[in-house]
Amino acid sequence: MAAASTMTRPARGPSGRREGNTARGIYAIVGTVLGVLFIAPLVWAVLRSFQTETAITSAPTVSDVTHLTITNYQQLISGTIDILHYVANSLIVAVGTAILTAILATAAGYGFGRFRFRGRGLIFAVTLLALMVPYQAILTPAFLELNFLHLTNSLFGLVLFYSTFNLPFGVFVMRNTFSQIPAEIEESARVDGAGTLTTLWQVMRPLVTPGIATTVLYAFLFAWTEFLAALTFLTQQGKYTFPVALLNVETGTFGTVDYGYLVAGAVIAMVPCVVLYLTLQRYYVQGLMSGAVKG
Amino acid sequence: MADVVTTSNTYAERASRAPQARHGRSGLERRKARTGLLLVTPAFVFVTVFVLIPVGFAIYLSLTNYPLIGPDQWVGLKNWASVGQDATFVHSVLFTLEYTAIVTPAIFIVGYGLAVLVRRRRRGSTLLRTLFFLPYVVGLVTESFLLLLELQPGSGGVNAVLRGLHLTNGQTAWLVHTNLALVAVCVLVIWFASGLTMVLLMAGMQGIPGDLLEAAEMDGASWLDRELRVRMPLLRRTIAMTLIISVVGSFLAFNQFYILTQGGPGNSTDTVVMWIYQVAFVQLHLGRATALSLVLVVLVGFISFVQFFALREREA
Repeated sequence: MAAASTMTRPARGPSGRREGNTARGIYAIVGTVLGVLFIAPLVWAVLRSFQTETAITSAPTVSDVTHLTITNYQQLISGTIDILHYVANSLIVAVGTAILTAILATAAGYGFGRFRFRGRGLIFAVTLLALMVPYQAILTPAFLELNFLHLTNSLFGLVLFYSTFNLPFGVFVMRNTFSQIPAEIEESARVDGAGTLTTLWQVMRPLVTPGIATTVLYAFLFAWTEFLAALTFLTQQGKYTFPVALLNVETGTFGTVDYGYLVAGAVIAMVPCVVLYLTLQRYYVQGLMSGAVKG
Repeated sequence: MADVVTTSNTYAERASRAPQARHGRSGLERRKARTGLLLVTPAFVFVTVFVLIPVGFAIYLSLTNYPLIGPDQWVGLKNWASVGQDATFVHSVLFTLEYTAIVTPAIFIVGYGLAVLVRRRRRGSTLLRTLFFLPYVVGLVTESFLLLLELQPGSGGVNAVLRGLHLTNGQTAWLVHTNLALVAVCVLVIWFASGLTMVLLMAGMQGIPGDLLEAAEMDGASWLDRELRVRMPLLRRTIAMTLIISVVGSFLAFNQFYILTQGGPGNSTDTVVMWIYQVAFVQLHLGRATALSLVLVVLVGFISFVQFFALREREA
């Protein structure tokens, strides 16, 4: 047994070294085909966004690919639609949600992970309960409640609502992060006379930054891409978030149905998602592994 | 006095280290407990205000004919009795189940295949993982807008490709036929969600000790045997998790159908969430919509409950 494992140690995985040319060939071909197939629609969309409205709404020809223009983007930004206003709304909501979720989840994660107090188990269970109640299913009572609190048609109200539904995941991640920190580190800070907040900020912060990054990333992307709650809680056009504004581009509420605007808008919506994913991939995958992500 | 008794363990433990502080210890413990409670309170308040109160309020709402303006009237169980008689709701439940039954196994099979392809560190495997996962990152809303464009008869990219392959004449109006619309949405969602299943399964596969697979191979197990008889049973919790994520996600489907079909033709592609949205915010029958919502909460809550325990078990 020991001899066998020594012999195969250089291999990356089981039967790793014996992989033949056929297997490698199949991997190369299947991988290339599938890789192209998966990315093609997104690349095609980017290409589309630089075509004229006429090219987009008539049968595709080869010249579509060579006659590219930035008209769609220009019109979206400087035309009557004023898309940057809605991009700004979405950025405010996404950044607000990310910050609020991070603060609430870090505090709660610290409390649940490092302190013992009566009712801790119950409060933790109730906090995670929000994970089991899909927000899609409580929009009617939530709408009436937000309306009562004058928080409909309010980006702030949306931030509060989004943050709540990012909390179970954030608290779960942060509790695990804090639990993994050795107790000695915290105690030595306390012996040195540091208070709770000082300990949290100066001693724990560097150690929990990966957890916070994961929480922030998920909260931001959730708020940036969320559609149904925004559609429900925002009825004044000026308050629309970007996805809701795109729906209005699609249905022609802004005056004209222009597929050139729609595809350019969709590409703008993709940018933060792709950039954040490519730069923070590590935290993204860490979040998935914590197993508390909903589909 | 009671405090001294309950904290005596800690007290004894620490007395040796800091005997001069013996009077402050129980106070410190109490302070720590208070700090802990204080730290978790804000999050708890948010969950209470935006989850617990709406759920409680929903139960009340479902027993009234809540109008947006004017006083509400108590109608007892009338809304609940009408749940089964709402033919569109029943249809939407069946349609959502059909949709879930199609995409869940498809996402699993594609996701498993992708995981097998990229689980080993090979040339290009990191790039492939990124490419396969990217559709999930971009999100269904944006992708539904893009697909809407590409499904147009005559001009859409999907139709152009199908005509190029001599499969259709390129004039298919996908979104005005129930089944064609369903096919289009399913393909979209499989493309969107397979990457997530892939990442989760891949992590599970990498956690399987190589010795086990080697032993199976020495015993003469074929590639397929190793996959089905060794890996799959060991992965069953991860597999269960990916399936539950797919089931819950599909059961709550809204964005892709709302953007692509608006529930049409007729109400044939209305999902449960879409129909509830319709009853509540278009027809303004808030009481009835809330009764329907609570049915959804119970259904999804049950699935999530199972998920929670599956995950707890894994943690232990």
